[in-house]
Amino acid sequence: MNLSTLLIWFLRLLSTGLALYELVVGPLVNSVLADVSLPLLSDQVAGTKWFALIFAVTTWASSEKRFWALFFWYWPLVALWACVIAPGNNWWFPSEPLSRAGHQIDGLFYMILIIVAVTFIGTEFALGYALWKSAVRGKDDKVWFSHGSHRLEIVWTIVPAFILVFISMAQLDVVADIRVLNRFPDEVQSGPVAEVMARQFEWRIRYPKPGTELMTTPQPGDLYYVNELHIAATVPTMVNLRTQDVQHSFFVPRMRVKQDAVPGLIIPIWFDAEKAGEYELLCTELCGWGHYKMKARIIAETPQQVSEYLTGLQADQEEDGVADEE
Amino acid sequence: MATITPAVDSADHAHDHGHDHGHHEQTFIQKYVFSTDHKVIGIQFLITTILMLMVGGALALAVRWQLAFPWESMPIVGKLFGVFAGEGGQISPEFYTMLFTMHASVMIFLVIIPVLAGAFGNFLIPLQIGADDMAFPILNMLSYWFMWPAIACFGYSFVAGGATAGPANGWTSYPVLSDIASASPASGNAQTWWLFGLTLVGVSSMMGSVNYMTTIINMRAPGMTLFRMPLTIWSMFITAILQAFALPVLTAAGFMLVFDRLGLLLPTSIQSVFFVPAGLIVNNSAPTVGGGQPLLWQHLFWFYSHPAVYIMLLPAMGMVSDMLACTCRKPVFGYKPMVYSMAAIAGLGFIVWGHHMFTSGMNPALGMTFMTSTMMIALPSAIKVFNWIGTIWNGDIQFTGVFLNCAAFVALFIVGGLSGIFMAAVPVDIYFHDTYFIVAHFHYVLFGATLFGVFAAIQFWFPKMFGREMNDGVQKIHFVLTFIGMNGTFFPMHLLGIAGMPRRYADPYLHGYLEHLLPMNKLMTMSAILMGFSQFLLLGNFFYSMFYGRKVGRNPWNANGLEWSAPSPPGHGNFDVPPVCYRGPYEYSSPEAEALGQDFILQTDPPRRAATTEPATA
Amino acid sequence: MNTQIRKSLNRYHMISKKDFATSGSIQQTAWLCLAMLATVGCSDFEASFSISENTRSLAAEAQNGTGESPGVIALTEEKFGNPQSLKAWTKLPVNWGGTSVSVAAVGSDGDAGTSGESAEVETADATETPESGDNKVTLQVPDESISLPNTVSSLLVSSGESAGQSVAVTSWDASTGEAILATKLVLSAGDQCTLDAGKGLQEGRVLYMRHCSHCHGTAGDGNGPTAQYLNPRPRDYRHGVFKFTSTNDMSRASRNDLTRVLRYGIPGTYMPSFLLMEDDELEAIVEYVRFLAMRGEFERKLVVELSSDYSKDAMVSRIEGGETRDEIVEELAEFLELDMPESVDYVGNDLQEIWTAAETEEARVIPTVARVPDTAESRRRGRELYLSKTLNCADCHGIDGAGNGPQTMAFEKNPITNEKYNEPGLHDVWDNLNQPRNLQAGIFRGGRRPIDIFCRVYSGIKGSRMPSFKNTPHEDIWHIVNYVLSLPFESDPGATGSLASSEVAGGAEAGD
Repeated sequence: MNLSTLLIWFLRLLSTGLALYELVVGPLVNSVLADVSLPLLSDQVAGTKWFALIFAVTTWASSEKRFWALFFWYWPLVALWACVIAPGNNWWFPSEPLSRAGHQIDGLFYMILIIVAVTFIGTEFALGYALWKSAVRGKDDKVWFSHGSHRLEIVWTIVPAFILVFISMAQLDVVADIRVLNRFPDEVQSGPVAEVMARQFEWRIRYPKPGTELMTTPQPGDLYYVNELHIAATVPTMVNLRTQDVQHSFFVPRMRVKQDAVPGLIIPIWFDAEKAGEYELLCTELCGWGHYKMKARIIAETPQQVSEYLTGLQADQEEDGVADEE
Repeated sequence: MATITPAVDSADHAHDHGHDHGHHEQTFIQKYVFSTDHKVIGIQFLITTILMLMVGGALALAVRWQLAFPWESMPIVGKLFGVFAGEGGQISPEFYTMLFTMHASVMIFLVIIPVLAGAFGNFLIPLQIGADDMAFPILNMLSYWFMWPAIACFGYSFVAGGATAGPANGWTSYPVLSDIASASPASGNAQTWWLFGLTLVGVSSMMGSVNYMTTIINMRAPGMTLFRMPLTIWSMFITAILQAFALPVLTAAGFMLVFDRLGLLLPTSIQSVFFVPAGLIVNNSAPTVGGGQPLLWQHLFWFYSHPAVYIMLLPAMGMVSDMLACTCRKPVFGYKPMVYSMAAIAGLGFIVWGHHMFTSGMNPALGMTFMTSTMMIALPSAIKVFNWIGTIWNGDIQFTGVFLNCAAFVALFIVGGLSGIFMAAVPVDIYFHDTYFIVAHFHYVLFGATLFGVFAAIQFWFPKMFGREMNDGVQKIHFVLTFIGMNGTFFPMHLLGIAGMPRRYADPYLHGYLEHLLPMNKLMTMSAILMGFSQFLLLGNFFYSMFYGRKVGRNPWNANGLEWSAPSPPGHGNFDVPPVCYRGPYEYSSPEAEALGQDFILQTDPPRRAATTEPATA
Repeated sequence: MNTQIRKSLNRYHMISKKDFATSGSIQQTAWLCLAMLATVGCSDFEASFSISENTRSLAAEAQNGTGESPGVIALTEEKFGNPQSLKAWTKLPVNWGGTSVSVAAVGSDGDAGTSGESAEVETADATETPESGDNKVTLQVPDESISLPNTVSSLLVSSGESAGQSVAVTSWDASTGEAILATKLVLSAGDQCTLDAGKGLQEGRVLYMRHCSHCHGTAGDGNGPTAQYLNPRPRDYRHGVFKFTSTNDMSRASRNDLTRVLRYGIPGTYMPSFLLMEDDELEAIVEYVRFLAMRGEFERKLVVELSSDYSKDAMVSRIEGGETRDEIVEELAEFLELDMPESVDYVGNDLQEIWTAAETEEARVIPTVARVPDTAESRRRGRELYLSKTLNCADCHGIDGAGNGPQTMAFEKNPITNEKYNEPGLHDVWDNLNQPRNLQAGIFRGGRRPIDIFCRVYSGIKGSRMPSFKNTPHEDIWHIVNYVLSLPFESDPGATGSLASSEVAGGAEAGD
């Protein structure tokens, strides 16, 4: 008995054991014995038992050759299954997109996902099928002696080319909406509401003194805060993104916003929060040892609340420690 | 310099072939250490890179440990360094940063690039084109021995900034983090040493690529026309061109960064601030002076490093094409489209670097251009995948470890290629940039594709290197474990990326919306440990088989290439008689071969007559 | 905070074994972990509180104790424990956490009277399976405003026959207050107990080890692995001194001051803002930091008791003076045995007093006059004061506030060793170079509110060479505050031109 045979036998026993445990023994024991609770993989990840069963069957699928062919069919199935159950297990986007650009980005993501999934299934299936065909071929079957096919080459050059160009073209408008300054929404043409200054390892926020415009250099009366940016919900907002030291990146996952803060540049960015609430803000460009510590939030609320907040901030910033007696 | 050794089939030859040439006795040092023989150099590169693979892997496991068991006592490392002892073995965040930086640096510069071009390029080019050695043997030797100063520099950089502070700026070393010493003080001088190491790796690669180009152009055997070259040679040739044109940019950029970093140590006249704008206050230091531009580095760096991605992939593509044809007993499907698509990848590879910078604040119009060119580079990759499947189609597959690894190459490259499309699209990339999605993507390409290709190539050409074969059963076990470990580690990274988990975080779970991903990270770490430890099977099999493997003859795989007409291992000068090439390398199962009652026909077999001797003695 | 991380951190650093009962069995997240540990052969090892340089300067016997009498190291451990097993010296004004309860009934039948007889003290034998009925107690909260916690892992008895004993709780019902104890204790109705005593401190330690220790060090010595790369260096709490406080110059920092620093960070340093932490998390960290500060102060003060006679240097000179080492050690043993317990008490009382005082209203800086309106006149007055001989701010901060006064060029003497520092400039009590702030930069570490600047001037910056100007009239301090706050926006701060022009404006206002 050589090692490959040994390997196959090992896999057969292992997978059969797992399948039996997941499908029969585990549930049986758990239901019969009230105070025993065996950990089942199926409880963690739905569908595991069925994959265990399929795998067990695969390993018994006669010869070693067929096993390998099935192996190359099996793993894409597992991969696809992982993707199918991912949203249900919360292994997916942190939330629905909560901004205009977010909807566009997610739309494009799902478009690409469908194209990619079809291609993935097609190519992996074809690969597995090619293996299977060979595994079940008769001893005297002739090998297909071929150096290739012009027609096929042309087909599989032109079709993907069209698809790729199509994907590419579909992006352009969205890129322009997000990034090109003169296509920014009208609401933000009046200027940025705040400056977000990244530094190792926090986000320093500077608002202009209520009633004035934000200047690029600090002005007397500017209001300062850290790690918390208040914006009006539902309307697009523009901020100036800067960094005091190294490169950082402004990432708001729920809004699908990301922009690097580049030393020496002031980069205007716009975003909007569809709903009032808190949005995580974090850094996604390596900025030193404390990179992961740059935890902040954006609070979206009504314009009224924003101005109240700024008034409160202003009062706090003029705090002189003497109780008002007047 | 060509020496024709007598035909000796015995594998014992490996150890005594020196005695066969009367004209010069070689000392041990000349023969095995400072050898100018391309085969010895190739094997030196191979063993060095396998050892470096273990180093890089160990670093990766440390990274994974922290992600699965954040701030827990880290095995080995926690005890190794005194500074972590008082913390109960809990590593520090800058140490984590160094770990992933050095993991990437070691894997890219000391494993993937040298194992492909250095090890297999060296070993295979002269053998497959029918030359007796490289065009410049001494340059070739130097290209290996420049690796060691590079390794020394990288190694020293680990400790240059104190016991726990190596280069900690990511392998991309974006300024100004990498530029101002106080910005990532953990890296201290280490970053400078790292840059020197990088430069030396570049020198080594450059020497190699000049050599490869010259050898391939000038030293082909009679009859070995360009389109009779195996795809391995085409890929090595194209890689050498890529390297020769892209590398100088990185070297220049590296020196610019070194000048920036050395700062006050240099005379005022050559102090520079290429990448540092004015007015930055870092780590409480005085504001910087200067008018530099950090984005300049990103452009220069990616101008090299994007082509470098193909440097890290193309040779594997070529070798896998060779091995698939042999293990499927079929010609490569669409030989010329394969060549053209490799050339297209190389050409387009030079105009796609901007896709690494979609969120960098670069002009959006540029972003759109780079997006389109990046989409287009998917096309030749797709063509290659279709052709590989075509090659396997209706073949007589030999289900050896070689084939399984090659099939895994194709299967996993599909994943790596397809996930790339998400990131080529600017808006989608805005979300995915610098999340785990990109980590998944490039590990599928570099591990899933390249390393599986390398695992196959090691087993495939092992008999030619040592005259013995590796144990196929162990290779299959290694394959299964590595395949499961690899997918278990990297496939979930796609999902982490979609969930918005940024890369390079020492403690992602600090952020509420990532907390629930800890169990998934544990699973990934488990898989990574499985994958890491199964490499000992490869290591053991490799070194065991080197001395005790079953002895084989010249052509154990019944393959067609010129290298299989040489003795195993080939003596000094490679071939018994200068080979003449009569046909392409992939004429498996051709009518001509079948007329001889076999399913292969060596490129050296003269046409229309039966071979006088059976070349395959195994 | 992620409960899994909390658990895993608990496992490695956080289990308190002595004064507080163990925090309960840690459920492994997956059986895979076991397989993994088997593979990697991971053995955890323990974090430790570093021994300070001060302590190390003592003779070995003073550090380690002689015979029966403990030395400084053992005394500190006795009072404060180690990171795995913290101890609560209840005298200290630390909020240890936990819920105070009293025993309502003992035993399964709820009859407190009869159970007293049967509930003899049993040896804590874990192998013996206790009958749950015998170990059942019913607990109640002293008043309705406090509710029972949802989960409980330990019970500390503070009065009655079993006072001082701690026991694990194996089962807990929050609605009835019924607890089943792991071992039997003699309890009777009315005994005072604490549920999960020290829980707050333990949580503080978990958070501290995750967020703080890599800079500030496990012992709060400001010497974690990351510390060496930071400028300025992270605070060493062991002096008990914190720079930016709202308390007067003689007081320790208040809890509010520490919370504020945690919440908003210290601009211009690597101390980041932990704004997004929950209030209870911040509270737990603050308590733990105060605990570490007290521990450090305790250690320092014990060393002070011993250092004049029993430091390594003192030993050398005494031996040179003719005494033999044995004699000195004998004397030390006597001191440790007879005088030290008293000193420990004294130091403890002292700590209790000063840290309690920091929380009082008297300690807080409250200006007697409201901020003077920020007019040009006020700023001009502020500048006069800034330059004046009496206050002499310019000596350090420079005549235009750029932080480049003459003192920054002078070589200081270390007040303790009396040796000159190697580099010119001002140094803090931690011996770090600590140059005066550049007031033009607009970065105010202690905060940019007028009251913050007021406190900096009034109380000085503790531990640094910024002295207290508490004798300056408050109105004058406000003038200085106004001047300082205007500095970042002056294009040419030292020039009289700009002052003159604004003076005109101010003068016009005043004229009205």
